[in-house]
Amino acid sequence: MRVRNMIRVLGSLTCFYGLTMLAPLFVSLIYRESDWSAFLSSFLITLFFGLSLYFIAFRATREITNREGFLIVTLAWALAGVFGALPYIFTHTFATVTDALFETISGLTTTGASVMTTIEDKPHGILFWRALTHWIGGMGIILLGLAILPLIGVGGMQLFRAEVPGPSTDKIKPRIADTAKVLWKVYLLLTLAEVVALLFGGMNLFDAVCHSFATIATGGFSTRNLSLESYNSTAIEMIVSFFMILAGINFALHFRFLTRQKKAYADNGELRLYLGLIVGATAVATVVLKTHQLYGDWFNSFRYALFQVSSIITCTGFSSADFDRWPDLLRLILVLLMFVGAMVGSTGGGLKVMRVLVMFKNIYLELYRLIHPKAVIVTRVNKQAIDHTLIHSVLVYITAYVAVFVVATLILTALNVDLISAATGAAATLGGVGPGLAQVGAHGNYAEIPLLGKWVLCFCMYAGRLEIYTIIILLVPAFWRK
Amino acid sequence: MSVRFILKILGAMIFFFGLSMLAPMIVALLYGDGDFSAIALSAIVTVGFGGALVLIFKKERKEIGIREGFFIVAAGWFLAGLFGGLPYYFAEIFPSFTDCAFESISGLTTTGATVLTSIEDKPHGLLFWRALTHWLGGMGIILLGIAILPLLGVGGMQLFKAEVPGPTADKIKPRVAETAKTLWAVYVLITAAEVVMLMLGGMGWFDAVCHSFATLATGGFSTRNLSIESYNSVYFDFVIAIFMMLAGVNFALHYRMLKGDLKAWWRDAEFRFYLWLMLACIVAVTASLYFTRVYPNLFESFRRAFFQVPTIITTTGFTTADFDKWPSFLRVLLFVLMFVGGMSGSTGGSVKIVRIQLLIKQVLNELYRLVHPRVVMPLRLGRVLVPDNVMRSIWNFFILYLLLFVACSLIMSALGLEFITAITSVAATIGNVGPGLAGVGAHENYAFIPLFGKWILIFCMIVGRLEIYTVIVLLLPGYWRK
Repeated sequence: MRVRNMIRVLGSLTCFYGLTMLAPLFVSLIYRESDWSAFLSSFLITLFFGLSLYFIAFRATREITNREGFLIVTLAWALAGVFGALPYIFTHTFATVTDALFETISGLTTTGASVMTTIEDKPHGILFWRALTHWIGGMGIILLGLAILPLIGVGGMQLFRAEVPGPSTDKIKPRIADTAKVLWKVYLLLTLAEVVALLFGGMNLFDAVCHSFATIATGGFSTRNLSLESYNSTAIEMIVSFFMILAGINFALHFRFLTRQKKAYADNGELRLYLGLIVGATAVATVVLKTHQLYGDWFNSFRYALFQVSSIITCTGFSSADFDRWPDLLRLILVLLMFVGAMVGSTGGGLKVMRVLVMFKNIYLELYRLIHPKAVIVTRVNKQAIDHTLIHSVLVYITAYVAVFVVATLILTALNVDLISAATGAAATLGGVGPGLAQVGAHGNYAEIPLLGKWVLCFCMYAGRLEIYTIIILLVPAFWRK
Repeated sequence: MSVRFILKILGAMIFFFGLSMLAPMIVALLYGDGDFSAIALSAIVTVGFGGALVLIFKKERKEIGIREGFFIVAAGWFLAGLFGGLPYYFAEIFPSFTDCAFESISGLTTTGATVLTSIEDKPHGLLFWRALTHWLGGMGIILLGIAILPLLGVGGMQLFKAEVPGPTADKIKPRVAETAKTLWAVYVLITAAEVVMLMLGGMGWFDAVCHSFATLATGGFSTRNLSIESYNSVYFDFVIAIFMMLAGVNFALHYRMLKGDLKAWWRDAEFRFYLWLMLACIVAVTASLYFTRVYPNLFESFRRAFFQVPTIITTTGFTTADFDKWPSFLRVLLFVLMFVGGMSGSTGGSVKIVRIQLLIKQVLNELYRLVHPRVVMPLRLGRVLVPDNVMRSIWNFFILYLLLFVACSLIMSALGLEFITAITSVAATIGNVGPGLAGVGAHENYAFIPLFGKWILIFCMIVGRLEIYTVIVLLLPGYWRK
């Protein structure tokens, strides 16, 4: 492994990350709050560190291999987590450094699990930075990096591959840099559309921007303690639901649709399953909520059902109701949806709908084969034949995902976190959702989790966001051997 | 499919099953508890029904194909379960026939989940029948059938194949009938050994026989409300724990051992994994119990761990402690172990050690392949190469197992069961363990579950015991088409 080469890439990534801190700096200056100095020093430290890394390895070669790709992806996210915590640390927002790191990592991985016990009393700059970490994480620091890195001469499909093993994202354009830029434009467009929609819905500009950042990134940090529940507005909830569902769709599909390929959404099997799950789960939730008379009439039951279902399946984590008080059946359904997640190529987390689809198709074929042992059949997803090795890696991925979930739950319970909080906390961070059930439910937060537990959850957030392998592979001895 | 021939085979199986009711009849005569007539009536009905079928279709003689095999296996277990419920029904010890069927099928599938709210006050004949259903189920009605059916002129490896998809049972002797008789002899021998050991410790012959039946079959029905805990004897705890561990081992290995091949156990890769897993879990549970001060000293902690770990791993379900009161960490751990199960070729249920072992190996292989993409890595179990198609069906088995678990948990939860009760009741029945956590924990029972829920759990027990495919295939429309 060529260390200098990696240092150079990491250096330039850190520089650009530092530059984004200028945005909250302006926000705090506009609101004339005292935290501007914290942002200024964070900005300077990050930029200085990035530039030094870049110049140390200025003469490095520009090719990156597979293995270096894995390491760069992981290190880049780790560095971003550390530097992103600086504003929280300088403003003394949290009692411990661990909390500051937790909040940043939760932001960058678009999880939305918070250790803030009160939110409204925090300065605007800090709240804006929280939302911005979502937005930066959203398309992936890596995807951002891919749109910018080519400018400094690093081109590499490897990076993309490291972040997305398994069913590949559609290649819209052959060169990855172009792909990244294209998707980023779509991302920006959707965000702007939501900001405008929320302004019409009666939200102020600051809240609209923060919530739009958190929605399109499927993050979940809100500027209010009670999340979207505090607005108690049907219009706002419907707008946010709609955009959460959009954010859970493959951005490549959005791009095709925007470039006037009208059929882009129509013939996509993954999209059909995704929407089918949302419709199905919403219908069940509506009926159960109505029969338990939790929200009175049918309309309100539907309103709360739709919002919570789309928030959980896309792994956003906003809430407009305390779903921890819902009947057990619905709690269980929501936990299962945390595992399903959104589509490949979206900003959502979880296992991804594509993998679930491949899994179901494969099971059906296996059963078919049992009855007709000599039949030759091919699995197709979106009209493309899925080959044997891909099915295999999907199944291995699902197993690895469940294994990480189980181990994390065991560790958390060993730290005396109660069973349901531990299990759903692990599921919610691994899937990038945010709130779980019980202690870490919609009205709770992660502040009371013991120190070591927070680190385990940070690991879960990283592992889930970086598609498990990217991180696990660093723990395999063979990775480090020559 | 030749329906008439299938009916003849099923008739023969039911006939012999009815004959086995002679044993509890004798017990009832000896004790004179008043349950003799109920059992005698059941025996007459069962023998009469089976005998009639055989007589009507006496002249049918055909080969059985794979499709017939699936049907015979599933229908055989289900019918035996219904007829096995007759003694309870005629003795009127349950309020509904569903309960009788539940208890009987729980016995035959060696699950050990009970709907009896009090046990000691029941007549000896019925308690003996409970234990005997375990014992008969243990080696499998099918395996019994294979040892007896050849007398009727039916020879077919297909049956064995239908019951054991995936890693095949070692063929000790070429002919299935011989294999079955050999393994059955080993089974009887070990059962006798346990009876002797228990009687030496001072247990009455009735309790000793019943508990030995339930141990070797990895069933879990006890003759006491508090299961083995009621004896409060260190000797019994250890004897039964060791025999449970033996019952979780492939009986083909026991046979080789008894033949004088003393290294037979050690040479088997699955056995080594089984042993290490067992030891590791015992150590972990002992440590956890000791440090959380659940039991006053190290020995007591070890004693409880040494019993509860094998009872869950081998899916027996005896208890010497109310593990539902243990710390969350241990409850999660035991819950996870419910998905492991005994070795293939043992009487234990669930996923089976060999499958877990191969799944882990493949996940590690996959990680290695990410580092070295061009490496070709064949998968081995011991020195045996595992072919791709076997691996594929193991993956699909595992995924199908998890999906069924999830689907049934949702149904149980929809019936109004509490979160943990719903999930663990399904895990404990599909894995043929017996007790779960919370509402169906070690000191509880399944009596309170709603009627429909009991049928779902009955489905789980049969599906789990028959390795899923056998039953699921029957539910596919393709199976019934020409």
